[in-house]
Amino acid sequence: MLIETRNVWRRYTLGGEIVTALADVSFGVKPGEFVAVVGPSGSGKSTLLNLIGLLDTPDEGTVLVDDVAAETLSDGQRTELRRDTIGFIFQDFYLIPTLTARENVALPQLFTESATERNERAVALLSQFGLGDRTEHTPSELSGGQQQRVAIARSLINDPAVVLADEPTGNLDQNTGKTILGEFERITDDGTSVVAVTHDRLVTDFADRVVELVDGRVGDSTKATQHVS
Amino acid sequence: MSPKSLADRLPVLSLAIRNLSRSKTRSALAAIGIAIGVIAIVSLGMFGSAFQRSQMQNIGTIGNNVGVFPGEDLDRANFTERQLREIRRAAQPADLIAIKQDVREMRSRDGTTDQTVYGIADPDRLFDVRQGAIPDNWRSGIIVGDQLATIEGIETGDALNLDGQTYRVAAVLEDAGQATLVNPNNAVILPPSRFAEDTYTQVIVLSDTTAEATRTAERIRTAMNDRRERVQVFEFSQLAQQINQLFLQLNLFLIGIGAVSLVVAGTSILNVMLMSTVERRGEIGVLRAVGFKRFAVLRIFLTEAAMLGLIGGSAGVVVSVLIGTGIHSLFLGDPFAFDTLSVIYVVGGFSFGIGSGLISGAYPAWKASRLDPVEALRE
Repeated sequence: MLIETRNVWRRYTLGGEIVTALADVSFGVKPGEFVAVVGPSGSGKSTLLNLIGLLDTPDEGTVLVDDVAAETLSDGQRTELRRDTIGFIFQDFYLIPTLTARENVALPQLFTESATERNERAVALLSQFGLGDRTEHTPSELSGGQQQRVAIARSLINDPAVVLADEPTGNLDQNTGKTILGEFERITDDGTSVVAVTHDRLVTDFADRVVELVDGRVGDSTKATQHVS
Repeated sequence: MSPKSLADRLPVLSLAIRNLSRSKTRSALAAIGIAIGVIAIVSLGMFGSAFQRSQMQNIGTIGNNVGVFPGEDLDRANFTERQLREIRRAAQPADLIAIKQDVREMRSRDGTTDQTVYGIADPDRLFDVRQGAIPDNWRSGIIVGDQLATIEGIETGDALNLDGQTYRVAAVLEDAGQATLVNPNNAVILPPSRFAEDTYTQVIVLSDTTAEATRTAERIRTAMNDRRERVQVFEFSQLAQQINQLFLQLNLFLIGIGAVSLVVAGTSILNVMLMSTVERRGEIGVLRAVGFKRFAVLRIFLTEAAMLGLIGGSAGVVVSVLIGTGIHSLFLGDPFAFDTLSVIYVVGGFSFGIGSGLISGAYPAWKASRLDPVEALRE
């Protein structure tokens, strides 16, 4: 398994009460797999994404990334591992408004690669997603679909093993959403896994596997639902 | 793509500049605050320094000079040649100027007046000339003080009648100010050979420093006075030191006022950066998610604060130098009379500007870097 959670528990204190966001969740992603994580609001989808994205650590259980237990790493080490193995895509795209599309894509390599290398790679990625003529545009000059493609390009700049997407089609119309999901298929064809947290039925249609979270637990049974698209 | 752009060479700086340009008015106001602080420090410092220099020009080198006058127990009213030699020996290695003094009747268009006349061998060592020149080998001709020349309308080349004898005016002196041992402003100076007696009303001992003047005064007192007070020694070195001390305190006080305004400016940067941290929570979360370490986030925010300090400081320095030319012009008559102290004020004020930017930006930057990415992205 590329990324795996083993018997993970995550609890929060909310208004003086302890809320269990994830309860004994075991979940794994194989290389090149497109997994959709679905479930109602508050079911723990985002918490799961934060844990496997190394942004958070579990209260109990283990998160393994490339067989490394995340909770044994320091914040700096987790950041490095995250930078090298995980790409993020957000519902609101979260592009830096003052940077051009190229600079936004190159941002994760700001402190690790030379300007020439990161710029070349950013332009190549943007061209790959049909934005070769938009490299010097700022986010405000791009449509929602174009912005999400810039965000996808950014998530791929470090050649991650897995791309984590939080409601990737949430702010897009259906046609643009389909285009974006088509891009996800291309990514998985290249061997990169995609885990998308979503409410969108369309995403589940494109996914290789759908995992349902209910009240912080995986599915009705502990097995993920195999979905035929 | 422009591979050699600022963004490529100095990406953090470029990011910081663009972030600041997002809310131009707010950033400009914060930078103006720093500029005002720097202007306050540098201008007040320069004001104090220029004021001191202008006052010291008036006071002159009085602190370096010692005046020796006949004491109560001297056997006669004036010093004789022999007593002068005694004083010269005691004062060594300091040099001295012996002064004769008399009152003579000056005849002019408006009638006759009693006029103070000094006999000084080399007056150019004590006074500055504003018109004409003191001849090298001074045997004839007279020198007229500033005030007397102005009142009587005397110029070089004019003839002046003293006790029935006519002299040609060789030079007119600059205003010597009030703080001087011999005040020539309302007097006439003659070559000592034009006096009947070789006796001296006072002796001025010249030293290079106030400390040396103090030592010389002490030597003269020891040599000349025992139980009897044959000479009275006037030294202004202590006074001069006190005046210097006073100016130093005044300058520190002025700079202190400037520093307070810079602290106020620093608070405005703190405010701007804290607001920026709150507004850009999501962005900070993304930076952390895409692999920026805490230190990288700290660096970006700190660079923004330093840029505010740098921009404000630079503007402050430019305005301060302009104000400085005005101050120098006003007090010293030369707009470019910048001395080492002025340069220190400029460099110090500028560094203070950047420093206050950095210090004020430190907390917001630290806060931004410690932001939990999960919390930040939840917005």
